[in-house]
Parts: sequence; C-alpha cells; structure tokens
Amino acid sequence: MAEPPEEDPPRPWGEGNTPAPAAPPAGSSGRTVVVPPDSSMAAAAEQFNCPNCGGSIEVKAAGYTVSIACQYCGSVLDVTNPDVQIIQRYEEEVRKLELPLGSRGVLRGTEWEVIGYLRRSELGAYPFDEYLLFNPYEGYRWLDTDGRGWSLGNQLVASPQQNGLVGFQVDGEFYEPFYAQTPTQVDYVLGEFYWRVAVGEEVVAADFVRPGKMLSWERNDRESVWTLSELLEPHEITDAFGIDPPSGGGLPMPHQPSPYRKKAGLFLKIALAAGFALLVVTSLFGGTSDPQTATINLATNGVEQSAKIGPITLERARQAVTVSVRAPGIENSWVDLGYSLTNTETGEVYEADNVVEAYSGRDSEGSWSEGSRSSSSKFSMVPAGTYQLDIYAAGTQWRESGYSSSSGAQVEVTIQRGATFYSNLFLALLVIFAPALWQWWKHLSFESRRKSDSDFSGGDDDDD
Amino acid sequence: MSRGAIIFGLWCLLVTGSYSYAAVTGYSPFADGRRAEGARGPGGVFIGRGGPRHK
Repeated sequence: MAEPPEEDPPRPWGEGNTPAPAAPPAGSSGRTVVVPPDSSMAAAAEQFNCPNCGGSIEVKAAGYTVSIACQYCGSVLDVTNPDVQIIQRYEEEVRKLELPLGSRGVLRGTEWEVIGYLRRSELGAYPFDEYLLFNPYEGYRWLDTDGRGWSLGNQLVASPQQNGLVGFQVDGEFYEPFYAQTPTQVDYVLGEFYWRVAVGEEVVAADFVRPGKMLSWERNDRESVWTLSELLEPHEITDAFGIDPPSGGGLPMPHQPSPYRKKAGLFLKIALAAGFALLVVTSLFGGTSDPQTATINLATNGVEQSAKIGPITLERARQAVTVSVRAPGIENSWVDLGYSLTNTETGEVYEADNVVEAYSGRDSEGSWSEGSRSSSSKFSMVPAGTYQLDIYAAGTQWRESGYSSSSGAQVEVTIQRGATFYSNLFLALLVIFAPALWQWWKHLSFESRRKSDSDFSGGDDDDD
Repeated sequence: MSRGAIIFGLWCLLVTGSYSYAAVTGYSPFADGRRAEGARGPGGVFIGRGGPRHK
C-alpha cells in the first residue's frame, strides 16, 4: 500500500480559509500510515509494563504500533522508545468502552481485534467514537459510531478523483459533499495506534457521502488522509462483537440509505404497470360505435317537442349507451332535454336529463360568455336487447331584461353504443398511484431529514 | 419481494380487475342514466333548468 499524497485537493467544499491544525504535540512524529504492505506479513505481539501504573500492556501489532494508551491508567506511551516513555498521562478513570480493547469479532469475513479507541469531536461538539481494528494479514480498519450506527472504514492508498466542483469519485462511484471543512480534535484515547496520538490533536476534516458509504478527508499541516467507510447493518455489529445494535433515533446518518427508496421504486413500477393495463382496457372496451342521429327544430318558446331514434341493438349482456347532443346555433338560450331509452321487447325504461345552453353579454367588467352548446349523457349497464330512444326537448331564450321565448334552435341528438367513463379511469388511477406516491413521499421526507444535517443543504443552520 | 409490495400488487390487481369488469359491462357510479320505474309518457321535461349563472 502506498502512502496517501501529501497535498490533496484544495478546498472547494468548504471554508477555504480553515487553517491546517498544528502538528501533534511535542514528541510526536505526526500521523504516519503504517499499514502492513504485504498480507503475508503477520505482526507479533509484545508485552511490557506501563511506566506509570505498572500494568501489563500487550502490543498487538508490534513493529507497526507507534503509540499505545494504557488500558489501566489511560497514559499514552511511546513504544518506539526502548524505555517506553509516557507521552501523556491521564488521571481520570479509564473509560469503560462499548467495545473493550482486545475484543475480537468477524466483520465481513475477516476477524478483527479492537486495539485502539479514540473519542473525537468538532472541538467539543458532535462527539463520535472511533475504534481501531487490527488484523495481522489485513492491516488496520476503523470502526466508527456516533450512536446512530456503525461504519467500517478503510484508509485509501490514493486520493479520490475530483468530479465536478465539489464531489469526488472512488471506483466509479460519486460522493457528494455533506460536511464542510471542520476542525476535529481528539478528546480521549486508549489503546495502541500507528501514530503518536494525543488528546488535543487536531485535523481539519470534511465528509462526502453516497447511500451506504462515506468518504472522509482529514488534513493537518503535514499530510492528507482519505478514508472510505461503509455503513454496517445493525445486525453485523451485533453478530461480530455481541453488543446491542444502535438504538437509532434522531436524524438519519449522513450516509444512511433511505429505507423507503427500494419500496417506493417497486411500488411505482407496479403502479405504472397497473396504470398501463388500465389504459389498455380503456382502449379495448371504451369508446362508442354505431351512431344514429336525429335533428329537432325547436321553437324556443318553452313548448316541448319530441323525436325518436332507433332501433339500436345492444349485443353484450350489459353495455353502456351514450346520448350526445349539439345545438350549435343557440345564443342566450337553453334547451332542456329528457331521454327515455326503452327496450322494445321488455318495456324496460332508462331515463336521463340534460341541457345545452349558451349565454353572453356585457357588463361593467366587459364581455362575458358561459354555457356549452354540446353535452352528453351516459347510461350505465344497459342489458342486451333492442332499444328505442325517445327525446323530449324544450327550448327557452334568455334576455337581459328577463326570460322570453323565440324560435331558432336546431338540436342534433346522437345515440351510440358504448361509453368511456373517464371518471372510472381517474378513480382507478388515483387508488393505484396513491400508495406509490405515499411511499415516495416517505422516501423524500427521509432524504430531506438526512440532508438537513448537511452543510450543503442550503438551509440556514449556522446557529446549530 | 416484501410483504407490502405483494399486498400492493394484489391491490392493483383488484383495482385493475374491477375496472376491467366495469369497462366491459359499462358500469360507472357516475353515469347519468338510471333505470325508470315505468315507461315514460309523452312530456316530462323539466323546464327552467337553464339560465345564466353570470352575475
């Protein structure tokens, strides 16, 4: 494995004037990547006594470990010095870790041993835990948690490729910016590490995410380090180390995939397929055929006139019938219509009413018009048989000075077999797409909450 | 496939089937025509339904 580049990309993703933190405390040689270069290399363990408390300390990765924190008194020790000097002394009680040092567990096919623990924060805010895992053949990994979930991180040996203004790409996968450059410090340390870590050590960090993964960048005045973390399923950490899965709660993690995304996509596909089926059914069984038309010349004096159309034969066991009407010549008039669709064999009657009307005028706001000169009525589930349509029509004229009647309305009435009930189609599409849209709403709501924690969400969270 | 997706698929199947039945038989709860009690005699048109709503 190669060492990450010394100077990494500038800072298009955050505060460009964030200064690189100072070097680690005196006596430290800075963060040096010491990952076993060859998987065939296996590190040996070494033991010595803590010069502060006398406790027996075992170095798991002897030869790679530079510093170690005593698990009994918390003192940070320099193990590269033959006399094992104390780098930093702790008086406080050794913290009881969720994953005790020395714990072993199998994560994604590899057995790891917990050898170090760091508690870090953004200068005291937003604390999170990092456990250093070691395997003599695989090297080091990081196990991170902020209480909402666990991520397994691996330090990259090469800088990611910058993609666009602020994003980065690793193995063809794009990572969008989430947290801008922020000073991050070590608040607590325990165990052994591959660099001389000390409380107060600062780096500038930024994070980039994609669903399930986080790309983290850290820089001090000497180097930049990139780490790629994968979010673990809750059961993975339980299966590996026997601890309880994270309780969750609060905002989603920055790289937490939406639990609704897959379901929402599946629901939408099912809804689209069903919607397409509805359109096919509509085209096959909707529509009208065999039109028959009658024309009535009405005297628009309110006197009723009648006409007949038919016979029309319905062959299906049940079928819709459409009666449409047009009165293109009416103006400031309306025509009331009554239909009687009578089965000539059984005498069964179906009735409907309709009206066509057209008005216009002028008032203080200008010209106006309303009404429609055409309309249609639909009969539902008419049994098979031969039918005759009786039409009753009466025309009336409207004038601004009051109602009056006059002649001049010509009405065309057409009867057809079949009908397209768009109200049925709308209702069916509504009940099919509503659950899919609900799932998408939950997905988008989750994504909105997840991104609300981002420095790039566009919201004003400066007060946080 | 999740149980929710299966239930939703069955729901879509039910809706599509019902819609197909309605399309074939010409059923709609929103249809204008309705069955009459008996044969309608001459006349019976409701006069005065029309008229402008414009104020």
